[in-house]
Amino acid sequence: MIRNYFKIAWRNLLRNKSFSLINITGLAVGMASAMLILLWIHHEMSYDNFHLKKDRLYQVWNRYTVDGKVQSWPATPKPMASAIQRDYPEVEHTSRVAFLPPVKIDLGEKKFYGRGKIVDSTFLDMFTFPVLKGNAATALNDVSSIVLTEKLAASIFGDTDPIGQVLKLDNRDNFKVSAVVKDPPSHSSFEFQFLLPWAYLRKLGGNDENWQNNSVDTYVLLKENTSLTSIAPRLKALRQKYDKSDPDMEAFLYPMSRWHLYSSFHNGKEVGGRIEIVRLFGLIAGFVLLVACINFMNLSTARSEKRAREVGIRKVSGAYRTSLVAQFLGESMLLAGISGIFALVMVQLALPFFNELVGKSLALQTREPLFWLFITGFIGITGILAGSYPSVYLSSFKPINALKGGSKASKTLIAPRKILVVGQFTFAIVLIIATIIVRQQIRKAQDREMGFTKDNLVYHFTEGESASNYRLIKEELISSGTALSVTMTSSPVTENWSNTWDIGWKGKAAHDKTLVSRFYADEAVTRTLGLELVAGRDFDLTNFPADSGAALLNESAVKHMGFKDPVGQVIKDMGREWHVIGVIKDFIISSPYHPSEPMYIGGASGFFNVIHIKLNGRNPMKENIASLLSIFKKYNPEYEMNYRFVDEQYARKFADEQRTGTLATLFALLTIVISCLGLFGLASYMAENRIKEIGVRKVLGASVLSIATLLSRDFFKLVALSFVIATPIAWWAMHTWLADFPYRVSIHWWVFALAGLAAMVITLVTVGFQAVKAAHANPVKALRSE
Amino acid sequence: MLELKGIFKWVNTGGNRVFLLKDVDLSVKEGEFISIMGPSGSGKSTLLNVIGMLDDFNEGEYTFLHEPVHTLKEKHRSALYKQYIGFVFQAYHLIDELTVYENIETPLLYQDIKSSERKALVADMLDRFNIVGKKDLFPTQLSGGQQQLVGIARALIAKPRLLLADEPTGNLNSKQGEEIMELFSQLNKEGMTIIQVTHSEKNASYGTRTIHLLDGRIDN
Repeated sequence: MIRNYFKIAWRNLLRNKSFSLINITGLAVGMASAMLILLWIHHEMSYDNFHLKKDRLYQVWNRYTVDGKVQSWPATPKPMASAIQRDYPEVEHTSRVAFLPPVKIDLGEKKFYGRGKIVDSTFLDMFTFPVLKGNAATALNDVSSIVLTEKLAASIFGDTDPIGQVLKLDNRDNFKVSAVVKDPPSHSSFEFQFLLPWAYLRKLGGNDENWQNNSVDTYVLLKENTSLTSIAPRLKALRQKYDKSDPDMEAFLYPMSRWHLYSSFHNGKEVGGRIEIVRLFGLIAGFVLLVACINFMNLSTARSEKRAREVGIRKVSGAYRTSLVAQFLGESMLLAGISGIFALVMVQLALPFFNELVGKSLALQTREPLFWLFITGFIGITGILAGSYPSVYLSSFKPINALKGGSKASKTLIAPRKILVVGQFTFAIVLIIATIIVRQQIRKAQDREMGFTKDNLVYHFTEGESASNYRLIKEELISSGTALSVTMTSSPVTENWSNTWDIGWKGKAAHDKTLVSRFYADEAVTRTLGLELVAGRDFDLTNFPADSGAALLNESAVKHMGFKDPVGQVIKDMGREWHVIGVIKDFIISSPYHPSEPMYIGGASGFFNVIHIKLNGRNPMKENIASLLSIFKKYNPEYEMNYRFVDEQYARKFADEQRTGTLATLFALLTIVISCLGLFGLASYMAENRIKEIGVRKVLGASVLSIATLLSRDFFKLVALSFVIATPIAWWAMHTWLADFPYRVSIHWWVFALAGLAAMVITLVTVGFQAVKAAHANPVKALRSE
Repeated sequence: MLELKGIFKWVNTGGNRVFLLKDVDLSVKEGEFISIMGPSGSGKSTLLNVIGMLDDFNEGEYTFLHEPVHTLKEKHRSALYKQYIGFVFQAYHLIDELTVYENIETPLLYQDIKSSERKALVADMLDRFNIVGKKDLFPTQLSGGQQQLVGIARALIAKPRLLLADEPTGNLNSKQGEEIMELFSQLNKEGMTIIQVTHSEKNASYGTRTIHLLDGRIDN
């Protein structure tokens, strides 16, 4: 019996080639889209799940109550780890992790760069980064030991055994390779290429015992059979025991399972985070698949007249309804199976592009039996979803009616089919609207006045001797004509590294805990960065040596501090006084979607990490860069000069939204393509079914246009209805999305009108083609067909 | 074998009640070959469908092999016709996607019969109707007469006790029609009870009894 079903399904497939082609294409595209998204979701959901002790691992977070509002963040003081270990017997291990900037690694004459972390010796015991060579237990004990990842070890040493080899880091200290670990997988929250022991930080003198300096991450491994609920209430007392200065601050443990997807806090509570995007895309995957399944449903039921006879014969021959349902489900399964194979091929082909889009390296796990189990399940579910309604509908025919062949239903669109088409187009229109608004929002942020000039501006993170030889480098850059202006700053102009509420000025309210951003520059900061000075003057150490203690305020700061006449005022921060000598316009240092925050730019007495260079725009860029590299090489010979273009860095601020925009566009297009395929098929079946009516009308004198209109009208009504349903949904969804951006576009009515118009035009093209074709047919032929 | 008593069937159109069958009494004995005749719209096919339990009736009693059909539930009724009745149609109604062999086999698939047994049964049938050579062809590759032969073979494969035929020769030329009627006559001689609807006096003459219908009423 199964073989009989399969045979008839297969022959049906071959006999109705256009129907099969439309169905398989639509389903395959839908399945491929859903698979891509599911792959991404699977990757997101699997973060950190490779740690064997994942259920017992926690990160220490802080909760701080200011003005009744709770702030939460994960940085902790360095002495906290040992305090926790000492005071709470439930704790098995703790480990601190300190950030390191990219570091130059020398092996003899060869130079490499690597990103690493400084960790406690317990790190490899707590977290599962399997040791390939060396001893995990002792690898991080010695002050001069270094643990490399497999990849870095291979790039430095090639095939030779790295254990015991000596590397020089940052031109300073020698380290002996004590172990090689597997590379952290792509779904690891920790990313590193090497690990250094905490003892090294101690040696550098960086291991302060200051409870107010929240500078490292602290991780906790609880003992087996202990629960978070037993330790959590007692942990609140921890900070008070060691640091009485801030009674509103307390520590809490945040479980590993929630780090990646949920760690977005508002007022002390989790408010979603990445999981929201995961859910959103899960929803989109479901809908795209549903839209593809709807095609199958519509086309199958549209063909019901043909299948009705078969149903009648089978029923008269003794078939029960269940066996017919099984037969039709079998057919949809077969089709889903074929589509699934095509979808897998599409996914394989599309993965490189998709990976670039989402910034991941996803792959089909074709060697895992579980993967094939999943694919089978996926195909099965798709088959059932697509076949459910047609099988129930087709098997319900009464044999007597079916054999008479007078099923009127297929001549026009029947109600359930209408609902399905409306569903498809609602989804498509929502996606079109979303695409337009996301793009508008990105455009708006991009068009926003930056407040600085990014052209020909590069920056360099100081390393080696580039800081100590700064004066010489600057002079030569300017005298050689490579640069117009050079300024040393605390951070890149595109990154906000420091802020404080512990800043004083005349007339500050007692409870004012507004954050003020800090930025430092030695000289000519407005000239180099292209900031606009609205009052006073720029730093000028040659003519005004006291400018090292001067400050510039941005307009937001002037407004917030309530200065009528800002130049000449004094602000207090970093344990000294800063004399305000000028005011600049706000510039975007953090997010282009947020309003500018109050900021002061302090003079040469601040701290410095970055050199900004305004290149001479009259020289070719290639020449400028070559000259830049050779000048740095001259004064900092041990290092490859690192430089970044400010315009590129600025563009990265839009990456997330651009990705959302691209994905929305992609899935909108796919949905439209799939929906149109279905509409095309539906229109052709309807034209076929109404062939006699068309013939009669033509004989009676109807024009081609009136017939084409007659055939298209039903579809237009449906698209119009979809538009009515889609508008409030899209408005609500985009309103919610935009709410995250304080600086945002308003939603205009014409966006909706445009989306509606687009849907109409697409429908016109899809249906109109069939309608005109049918209207042009020779009426005599049509009438003879009876 | 079956007995109809006071069967009425009507449809309501626009406030008017149109009778399709009016007070039909009919008794059929095992081994009869009955021809139902009458002008178009007289209710021949409706009567045949009622007998075949494919269609309902509104009033009256119908007993089939001692089962009171009018009191049976839909499921029961379909089980009854599936077991005892074979149908032959004017338009043959073969499944285009199946071969001759598979078309004949279809009813057996729905009756838990083992594959080897099915093979034997279908082979017998092919043999009997002399269409062994055509078993792998599809219906569209056959002439009308051959298609109807397949239709009859399919109706007989499950060994029904009653064969219902709705104008079995309606789409055939006279020579093919004659062959089909000869076959029916032969089947009847072997003991099959047959009821056919026909327009032709000549076809009716193959039967043992003729019933004339006029406006839904038996007209004797």
